[in-house]
Parts: sequence; C-alpha cells; structure tokens
Amino acid sequence: MAANLEQFVSNVQTMSSSASFTNMVEYVSKSMDALAKNHAHIDTALATLSYSEHSIGVLALLVVKLSGAHIQDFETLYVQVQEFVSSCSEEQIKFAPETFAELCHKFTLQLVDRKQAQRGITILCQAIRKVQTHLALLTSIHPCLCQLCLLAKNFKPALSFLDVDITEISRESGHYDAKDFLLYFYYGGMIYTALKNYNRALYFFEMAVTTPSMAVSHITLESYKKFILVALIVQGKIPTLPKYAPQVVPRYIKPLCQAYHDLATAYGSNNPADVRSVITKHNDTFVRDNNMGLVKQCETALYKKNIQRLTKTFLTLSLADMANRVQLTGSREAEKYVLHMIEDGEIYATINQKDGMVRFHDNPEKYNSAAMLLELDKEMQKCIRMDEKIKEMDREIAVNPQYVQKVSGIHDEDMPASTSKGQGF
Amino acid sequence: MPLPLQQGLFQGQAAVEPMQVDGAPEENDNIEEEPQYTVENPSLDLEQHASQYTGLARLHRLMFIADHCPSLRVEGLRMALNYVMTTYNTNLYGIIHRKLQEAVSSSSSLPDAVAGSVHNVPPLDVPWMETTAKKAAFKLEKLDTDLKNYKSNSIKESIRRGHDDLGDHYLDCGDLTNALKCYSRARDYCTNPKHVVNMCLNVIKVSVYLQNWSHVLSYVNKAEATPDSESTTKEANLTVQSRLKCAAGLADLATRKYKSAAKHFLQANFDHCDFPELLSPSNVATYGALCALASFDRQELQHNVIGSSSFKQFLELEPQLRDILHNFYESKYAKCLKLLGDIKDNLLLDLYLAPHVSPLYTQIRNRALCQVSSQCLVTCTVVPVMKDLPGPPTCPPLYTQIRNRALCQYFSPYLSADMRKMASAFNTSVGALEDELMQLILEGQINARIDSHNKILYAKDIDQRSSTFEKSLTVGRDYQRRTKALILRAAVLKNQIHVKSPPREGGQGGEMSIAPGSASAARN
Repeated sequence: MAANLEQFVSNVQTMSSSASFTNMVEYVSKSMDALAKNHAHIDTALATLSYSEHSIGVLALLVVKLSGAHIQDFETLYVQVQEFVSSCSEEQIKFAPETFAELCHKFTLQLVDRKQAQRGITILCQAIRKVQTHLALLTSIHPCLCQLCLLAKNFKPALSFLDVDITEISRESGHYDAKDFLLYFYYGGMIYTALKNYNRALYFFEMAVTTPSMAVSHITLESYKKFILVALIVQGKIPTLPKYAPQVVPRYIKPLCQAYHDLATAYGSNNPADVRSVITKHNDTFVRDNNMGLVKQCETALYKKNIQRLTKTFLTLSLADMANRVQLTGSREAEKYVLHMIEDGEIYATINQKDGMVRFHDNPEKYNSAAMLLELDKEMQKCIRMDEKIKEMDREIAVNPQYVQKVSGIHDEDMPASTSKGQGF
Repeated sequence: MPLPLQQGLFQGQAAVEPMQVDGAPEENDNIEEEPQYTVENPSLDLEQHASQYTGLARLHRLMFIADHCPSLRVEGLRMALNYVMTTYNTNLYGIIHRKLQEAVSSSSSLPDAVAGSVHNVPPLDVPWMETTAKKAAFKLEKLDTDLKNYKSNSIKESIRRGHDDLGDHYLDCGDLTNALKCYSRARDYCTNPKHVVNMCLNVIKVSVYLQNWSHVLSYVNKAEATPDSESTTKEANLTVQSRLKCAAGLADLATRKYKSAAKHFLQANFDHCDFPELLSPSNVATYGALCALASFDRQELQHNVIGSSSFKQFLELEPQLRDILHNFYESKYAKCLKLLGDIKDNLLLDLYLAPHVSPLYTQIRNRALCQVSSQCLVTCTVVPVMKDLPGPPTCPPLYTQIRNRALCQYFSPYLSADMRKMASAFNTSVGALEDELMQLILEGQINARIDSHNKILYAKDIDQRSSTFEKSLTVGRDYQRRTKALILRAAVLKNQIHVKSPPREGGQGGEMSIAPGSASAARN
C-alpha cells in the first residue's frame, strides 16, 4: 500500500531534480488512480514533498485528496491548498495547467458546499495570477473566482480580472470548456450589474449570448434574459445582435423569453402603465427567473427615460405637470426622481422649490477644458491600441504556415485549425 | 392600399374563376383597411374627368368614384359600362353591369332627384359577352401560335414583338398577371435600349394596375439606368422621362414617401406628359402640389414649385391648387387651409390620392405651425394669420401632414413665440398646443423648447462643436466595444469553443453540454 506512495514520492523527487517536467506530468496523470487507492496516506506523502520544488507531485496529491468522497479534515486541506497556491513553482504549474484548474474547480466546489465562499477569493486570485502568462489571458479558474465573489457578495477582487479585456484563451491541454467560457461572461455580467456598471454588464451578457453554439445552453438562455433587461435599462430597447450571433438565439432562445420581449415592447411605448401591466402579467416568470429586481429597475429606468425626454422639449416645467406627464403619483415623487437624476448627472436641471418648477439646462460640458481634452486623448489612444492589436493579429495569421499553405492553394491536407481561424474577421 | 374596387372584383370573380387581379394586394407595405366613406357633393365633371384616361385607368377610376360617391354612381357606372364594351374584358363587364343594376335599384327606392333621371339599365348583353370571349380566345390562340413560330425561327425582334402583342391582348382582356408575365418575358429579347425602355414602361403600367409599387420603382430605376440610344429623338426621350417620373411619383405617393413623390412629379415635363393609361396632367399637378406642400420647406417650395416654369403649366390646369400654393407661400395659412378644405371632396374621389389626403393635410398644417415660429428675433406678438386653422381632431392623414407643416412654418420666423397667442391662432387650447408641439419636437420637426412656466416657445440653438465632440466620443466607444468583441471572438474561434448538443446516452439531463475535447490540439 504505502509502498506505492513511496515509489511515487521518490519518482517525483528524482524527476523534479532533473527538471523533466513533461515526463513527470505524464507519469503523475498515470498514477492518479493508484494514488486514489492510497487515500489515507496522502498526508504523509505530502509532508515529505516540498511545495515549491515538487509542485506537480503535490498538485496531484491535493487533487486526489479533494476528489475524495468525504473530506474529514477540511481545515487542514484548506491550509494545504492555500500554502500550495502561494508557494508553488509557476514554472512547473505551467506544465500541468489542466490539473491545476481541476484543483481550483474542486476547491471552489467544496467552499460553495460549505458556504464559505469568502475564504477562497484570495487564494483563487493568486492561483489565476500564477497560471496567467499575461493579464488578458482567460483561464478556466476565472469563472470560479466570479462565482465565489458573487456568493460572498464581495465583487471588488473579481473586478481587477474582469476589467481586463480578454484577448486570448488559455489552452488547458489544448481545450477550453465552453461552459467555463459562458459562465465567466454570465457571472461577470451579473457582477457588473450588481455594481450598476450596466454598459459593461451589457457587453458581458452579449458575449455570452453570441458565443457560437449548436444547441441551447441554459447559461446562454439566462444571459439572454438578463441581456434584455440590462439593455432596457441602458438603452431603452433591445439592441440588434451582431450578425455572427448563433442561429439558435432567434430560433430557440427568443421563443423561450416571450415575457421579456413583451416587457421590451411595452417599454418601447414609453408608457409606464403598459410596463406595469406586463410586469404583473408575467410576475411569476420574473420571480422564478430571479430577475424581479432587474425588472423593477427597468420600471424605474423608464421613468427616468421619460424625464430625460422631457428635457429635450421643455425649458421649464412644474413638478406637478411633470408628474402628470410621466405618470408619477405626485410632485413629491417627481421631485425625488429629478433630484436623484441631477445627482447622478443624468440630467442637468435646477429645482425651484418656491414655485415648484424645474428648470432644465443644457449640458454644461463645453468640451474646452484640459481635462476633457485629456479624456479625449485617452479614448483615442485606446482606439489606436486596439487597431495595433488587430494589425498584430492579422500579421500573425499572415505568417502562419498553415494559413499560407491553404491560401497558396495546396489542398492535399486537411487543416481545420486554419479555416476556423479565418472566420473571425 | 387594396382598393375597394379590387375587393369588388374579387367578390365578383370568386364564383367565375380565380382571375386577373390575384397578384394585386400582395406585398404592398401599406395594406390597411380602407375606411368606407362617401363623398356627398363633389364638383366633378365626370365626362371630362373620364376622358382624360384610357384603358383600365378609366375603368378603375370610374368604378372608384362610383364606390364612393352615391350621386355620381349611376352615371359613372354607365360610362364604365359603355367603355368596357370596347375592350375584351368580359369579366369586368359582368361586374360593372351587376353593380349598375344594384345602384339603379337602390337609388330608385330613394325619392331622390337622381332616381328619376336615369333608369333604363341596358340588359346584360350575353351574346356580346360570348362573342367577345370567343374573339378573345381566338386572338389569343393566334398570337400564341405566332409567338411559337417566331420562337422556332428564333428571330429575337419578332419574339419580343410577339410577347408584347400577347401582353397587350391579356391587358385588354383584363388578365393583369398574365400581361405582366408576357411583358417581362419580352425582356430577354430586347436588342436595343429603346426596347428595354419600352418593356419597362409596359411592366410599370401593369404593375401600377396591380398596385405593386415596389415593382414599379424597380422598373423605373431599370429604365432610367438604360443608356439613351442615339436613334431616339429628344421628343420621345422627354416623353419617356415624364412617364417614368410620373410612375415613380405615383409609387412614392402610394408608399407614403411624399417628399420624393413631390420631386418626381415636379420633374415631369408638361409638353410631353402623355400618359393617359395612368395619369392625366391635372393629376400630376394635384399630386405634385399636395406632396410638395406637405414635405417641402418654404425655400424649396419657392424654388421648385412656384418658381418652376414647367410645373406652372401643370398648375394652370388646377387653378385652385395654384392659389393654395401661393397662399401657403405668402403665409396666408387660414385661406390656404380653407381652400384645401374645399377641394378635399374631389381629392377623396381620386383613386390614388384618397388614402393620403388626411396624412398630407396634417403634415401641411404642422409645416405651417413650424414655419411661423423659427427665426424672428423678437417675441411674436401678432399672429392673426393663423386664425381658424382647422383644429387637429377635425382633420383626418395628407391633411394632418399639411397641418404639421403649417405649425412648423408658423414658428420658423421666430426665436421665441408666445404659446397663448399661438394657441388662439391655431384654434386650440394652450395645453393641447403644448402636446402637439411636444410631439413635433420629439419628431425633430421643430427645433425648439417649451418654457412651460411662462408658456413661451423658444427656438433652440444647437452647439455644433459640443455635439460633434459628443458624437465622436460615442463613436469611439462603440468602435472599441466592437473591436474588443471581435478580438475575443477570434480567440473563441481559435480555441474552437462552441456549445454542442449533449451526447444522447449521457442521461445528465438539461440541454446544456459542452464539447468534449475533440480534435482541437491543432496549433500552437
């Protein structure tokens, strides 16, 4: 029994010292089953290995330990994982990214089961940093982190990852799971929604919805529902999806979201009464989908949108008149809305409480301050960087041997990779 | 715009055979239920009106009038009946005859002056119908064999002519769909531009009868794109041009693109406006003038309509419209709108114009309102010009448009306008005016904002610089967003991420499943 383990430990030690990591990964993955049988003695083995020098071996042992049916001593395991993640060798980890990801997935699962989401956040942040070669690389640990952040209602740690735009996806043993990809954008969208960064949220949901798909995924479906709601809050209408959106969206997903489309139609009429009646009609659906909060925000957004429309047509307007036009209950409520909107910079106006009038102003921004020009410059820089990135990608494809071969008309070999690459443009 | 006339045709035809106009109400984007209205006292000289048209156009127009004007019904149908006897169109003969009978019987029950005047309905001329049908069939057969002969000899020119003849014949029999088919088939045998234009004109004609406006427009474009051949004289060219413009205008009118309709009608040449199968010159005047009123601003009106020497000749045919135009231009809106009201009955009897009378009128009124209120530097104090403009509820869609025009024009000279005075000028309350103005502002027709506190309408000046900045920033952000999405998508495709159906046996439930790592370690 223990002989097996001893064998494993000594093999790991020799391979680590000779730095033949590729062989070691192979060996370790083969011996997983054997390790699982010696579940009881893993701790002893762990004690003999160094986290930083024999990372791959330790990784395997920890994964086996986490896969066990009953984890008696979770606290010890927690400390072990924490220590491992902080001290493991990045160099070695990069040879076994899929095992490392598995460790994180299982660890997350355990934490979620034990309702201790908060405790995993820092560890996963560290873990992601360890495997990332650069910041814009998406790993399959990302969605785990987002999930934990959502459960712990602590969004800040995830933001540092979400705010970076992904340009590359990590190949963990040559394959990245579509589920992880969808989950990342779904959770990310939810986090941004919770933080009321609706524009970014909309982008995330759109990414989830436009992921290529041949079948309907529940994640896509839920993303589409939230996509509609957030779009209503931000833009007041459902934006058209880009052409590359998969066929399943109009064909299968739309019919499943009838309640949401009804809401959007009612919303388009700018009539709060219509919207309210749709909400009451589909109340059950919205509650069941856990989207009631967002739906309510849509309703508020409609009032705001209507007030904004008023600013286009009026210079002054009495609060009572405004309440009447946007169907609020009274001048007091109208005042509240206007006040909040002024504070949030959504409209430019002053309230004259003496005679109950609101005076709308034009946008005070005259685009002539230094700060504004700096802002403009920043935006331009961003666009230029994007452009450079695109050019770089184009160059990369242009010099890709397979691509060149394909284009120059040699068709004798089947090259699926190069064709799929070209489609993105 | 499925005309009642055609609905009538359908009902009449259903029992006989599913024939000609099947294609008629298809794919017109403005299909709507025609409100049944009647016009009581038109001042229309039917005889003269009818003589302006030939062929199906005359029949359609007469029947339209008969459907909507009880006082002219019997006379109109009688004329239609006489005219239809000169064609091979036996089906239409049957329908008109039946209608006439109904009309006479219903009017005779009324103790009306009309009742006594005309009674002797000619009996249904069955022998004529039979012989005509036979003749038609015979001619059809002859033309058909001719065409076959031509085809076997494969002389392009003859084949084309054969198709055209066959089309003419079908048209004469009232079989529009087949006529259209024959005319379009001629297309393959056109050898010179003149033939192409000719073919287009034929197709346009039939398409107008069928009310297939998109077809009309596409063939107008096709004809216009055909290079002029040297052989055709300038005269002939102008005629063709005028015809095309009229047809295009008609199609635009029917699809509610009033502005482009106006432009097309204005391009018609008076001396060469000879298109009795579709339009009379006075039609061109009416359509052109109304559409222009509803959609042009003051300057355009001055340059293109009032100042246009060729259109002036058209307008001489319709002096009332000329007066309306001048009054509108001289800001005598009240008089203008009153005159418009006067001719409304006649307009409602026009086959093509009727459904558009109301929107055009509204637009014209709004135009007027806008124009009264936009450039003047002093607060407007005197607005007597607008007295007794008809209020919004009374005016039905060309009419509404005219009203909008009026509103816009009213405001155009002012920087600020007192809404109380405006309201009294437009015969409405301040509240109602405020709503009307709000609508116009939201539609972007008036560039102004309302001071609801002092009830003053202020013209709004837009800071071009700021809005340009604003716009460029949004465009920039949009670009970034789209590019990001594309870069991400490139990565997704590179990694072959896509949602697949779950394997059948994997009983895990749920539609969601993910691709197993099949064949993906391709590169890198």
